[in-house]
Amino acid sequence: MSDQGLRISGLQCSVDGNEILKGIDLTVEPGKVHALMGPNGSGKSTLAFSLTGHPKYDVTAGTATLDDEDLLALPADKRARAGLFLSFQYPAAIPGVKVPNFLFAARQAVRPGELTPAKFRALLLEKMDVLGMDPSFLGRYLNDGFSGGEKKRLEMLQMAVLAPKYAILDETDSGLDVDALKDVGESVKALRASEEGKNTGFLIITHYPRILQHIEPDVVHVMIDGRIVKTGDAQLAHRIEREGYDVIREETRALV
Amino acid sequence: MSSQLLESDRASALERFRTTGTGREKPSRYWKFDLETLDVPMPSGTPGGSVEIDAPAGRIVACDLQTAQRDHAALLERAFGKAIVPSMKFAHLARAFTHLGAFVYIPRDCASDDPVVIRYRSAGSSSIFPHTVVFAERGARATVVEHLDVDGDSFVCGIAEIVTDESADVTYAAPQLASESTRILFTRAALPGRDARVTWATADLGASLSVADIAVIAEQPGIEAHVASLFFPGGSQHVDIVSTVDHRVGETTSETVVKAAATGAGQGRYLGNIRIAARAQQTQASLRDDALLLSKRAHIDSIPALEIAANDVKAFHGATVGALDDDAIFYMTSRGVDRAAAERMIALGFFEPVIERFPSESLRETLREALQRKVEPA
Ligand SMILES: Nc1ncnc2c1ncn2[C@@H]1O[C@H](COP(=O)(O)OP(=O)(O)OP(=O)(O)O)[C@@H](O)[C@H]1O
Ligand SMILES: [Mg+2]
Repeated sequence: MSDQGLRISGLQCSVDGNEILKGIDLTVEPGKVHALMGPNGSGKSTLAFSLTGHPKYDVTAGTATLDDEDLLALPADKRARAGLFLSFQYPAAIPGVKVPNFLFAARQAVRPGELTPAKFRALLLEKMDVLGMDPSFLGRYLNDGFSGGEKKRLEMLQMAVLAPKYAILDETDSGLDVDALKDVGESVKALRASEEGKNTGFLIITHYPRILQHIEPDVVHVMIDGRIVKTGDAQLAHRIEREGYDVIREETRALV
Repeated sequence: MSSQLLESDRASALERFRTTGTGREKPSRYWKFDLETLDVPMPSGTPGGSVEIDAPAGRIVACDLQTAQRDHAALLERAFGKAIVPSMKFAHLARAFTHLGAFVYIPRDCASDDPVVIRYRSAGSSSIFPHTVVFAERGARATVVEHLDVDGDSFVCGIAEIVTDESADVTYAAPQLASESTRILFTRAALPGRDARVTWATADLGASLSVADIAVIAEQPGIEAHVASLFFPGGSQHVDIVSTVDHRVGETTSETVVKAAATGAGQGRYLGNIRIAARAQQTQASLRDDALLLSKRAHIDSIPALEIAANDVKAFHGATVGALDDDAIFYMTSRGVDRAAAERMIALGFFEPVIERFPSESLRETLREALQRKVEPA
């Protein structure tokens, strides 16, 4: 049990030969909520992609395990089957692939079971209701022609359906109106309240403390220039909002 | 004289076939067929083959060409050969030997949701020359589905024509899933009446060589033309499609959508012609063609040709050629779907805008299944 968690240690990552992550140590324990903040370009999405196995992101050093499984040895689909989920900052549009068809394939891959298409449809409709999504989304193609907010809702729908052990939300809150933000919060709460998701750990990448009002973080990390330079409690998020990153940069200069 | 319609003109049609150029160069060095010197198995006697025609109950007349010539000569004559233009080389070849065919007559204001289904069979014959004629009167609406059950070393050279009066609406779907040893050349030409709508929905998935000439001649105002084509050469298949929408008068609309993929050493070529004559003001035309290359040896040439002589028109053209989108693959695999399945779903999804234009769900499912088999890794 001691190795439970999404454990990242000494992780370094390069993209197209440029080193972006310079040694990340971070552990998300089951059932906990971690927030990851940091200025644009600091490497937050890079961390998310290197954990989920994007082929363009080269992990050059360090380890990442999910409840004892070596994530880095697995291709992206097997990482998802191990229980990892990433809500994309910029979800890809896939014309011609209908939302329920894709989600059924994903659910069967991640949680193979006896779910019939009819039961699956009922499950989808129930989760869509929590997210305030119109049933007409079932007839649409994945993210094709979706507004920014609709894409984020669809990401949350997929999280709800897949009920991962660990979920990384990469700026799921960016570009959302207040209602949508609330729905995202509800969706996370609903997952945590469910049997499947009661131990789900979250890594919430965000620029704004307001999402953290809906999902109270246990820990807040600050990433600057490919390193986590500060870790604290929920108060840290408010401090960043008030003071900006420069103060933290100053404070941690010695560290870097 | 009409009883001679089919027999008339054969010798001169053959001569026109011989003297007309294809207007198609060999697209790439991998291309194995030269249409200019295509070896045509000329029939010595009457060519064989058979046609089976299923029409919905009601006023639609659907019969073989011989019967039409005997019982509906005057109607047949109003449409037969009317949509063919001299540059359609292979239509002349078909015309020279046509012995097999179907006539579909949709009387005035007759509307049918059930399709007329026409099935041509080679039945052991090496060459068949089918000719379908669809004639829709004013306000008539109908759908025609053409199947080609051909195998062995069959050579098919056929014509499908749509001729309509005012405000008719005809959809003609041709899902071609023939066996991969056959060669198929088809000319599909439409001459709609004023305010009429015609839709060609074609899929070329079978045959070793599939050549199609798809045309709509818009010479009446208010015409709405749709051309939706997909093709997918795999193995050593070759597919060569030319579509032409000829806006000869204004206030006409056309939409051409072509989705092509190639795998194995499959070779494809698509030439998309949009012509807007100088007097065809207020024309709206769009041409969208996308090509997906699924292997290193696969090749697709996609050539848009917009000749626009009028100035007050809306013309859109968009094209892409490429491999599967890496971001899309990563997105799907990150949700647990394995890479092969993700690629399959994306490739199938790519064809959906054309599949959607086919008239029935069972036909659409048949196409999806056939496409799925082609995408499946060998
Ligand atoms: N293909 C690439 N080649 C070079 N640098 C890249 C490439 N992709 C990303 N980067 C760089 O990596 C750095 C980190 O990017 P990343 O997307 O992880 O930042 P982020 O913290 O998520 O920023 P934001 O808050 O704006 O989303 C940036 O400086 C970015 O320009
Ligand atoms: Mg980012």
